[in-house]
Amino acid sequence: MPDYGQIQVGAGTLDARLVLGLAFILFLLGALGVLVRRNPIVILVCIELMLNAANLTLITFAAQLHNLEGQLFALMTMTVAAAEAVVGLAILVDIFRVRDVEDVDELSELKG
Amino acid sequence: MIVPQIVFWVMAVIAVLGGLGVIASRQPVRSVLSLVAVMLALSVIFLLLSAQFVFAVQVIVYAGAVMVLFLFVVALLGPMGEGTSHHLRFHWGLSIVVVAVLGAFMYAQLQGIGFRAPDKLDTTFFGTVEQIGTGLFTTYLYPFELTSILLLVAAVGAIYLSRGGRTASEVRRQEEAHAEEDNVA
Repeated sequence: MPDYGQIQVGAGTLDARLVLGLAFILFLLGALGVLVRRNPIVILVCIELMLNAANLTLITFAAQLHNLEGQLFALMTMTVAAAEAVVGLAILVDIFRVRDVEDVDELSELKG
Repeated sequence: MIVPQIVFWVMAVIAVLGGLGVIASRQPVRSVLSLVAVMLALSVIFLLLSAQFVFAVQVIVYAGAVMVLFLFVVALLGPMGEGTSHHLRFHWGLSIVVVAVLGAFMYAQLQGIGFRAPDKLDTTFFGTVEQIGTGLFTTYLYPFELTSILLLVAAVGAIYLSRGGRTASEVRRQEEAHAEEDNVA
């Protein structure tokens, strides 16, 4: 049985497991950043990092399966990421108009 | 041919170092610039995986437009530090435990991964603009149109949020002005 995990790249091959491992590391770095960093902008940046890692897995499986759906879904993910960044940054700018926030825990007025 | 592997490893190292830079930088602007490095490295890997159109979109839209928006906001808000108040005890420890558990689950899934056979073996014209366009405008027309509505909603929402909210004193002044107008009438 052939190893379907090997992706043809030009004349050579690339192991899909390596690429998935890279996506795995990047996603965990993003998750760690969201949890430990306090600055709201950095948290948004870490969310973008996680979305990029997810995109990488989609592209990897699209290449491994020779199926375009993964790439199309990656494009949709980019749209969602752009929308999320725009709205998130607009909310941040709106908050910073009133006061400086260096710690997301300061924004707890809505807590019951 | 070992070239794809070399390119992959170089870009993977850049991406991981950039990812470390994102979470370790004290200044938000350095985090944003590290993320740009990650995105450019990933775009090269996309190209390796025969996703030419996604590569172009990643460089132009993501690393270009979205990250410039981030830089704009960072520049607008000025230099910022990192909050030091920790309302949660053992914040670092708990975060690392959560990430370690998540990582252990994902690692376990990666161990037993099995790949099924590719759908078709012809990869000559895979991931080109033509193929992406055909997919977006035939099979996936409905989700494609939905993303346009999503972008419209996001744009309207961003304009609404950033239209310049009135501060409390401005509201009071305007109410007084209205009251005077009423008196005149």
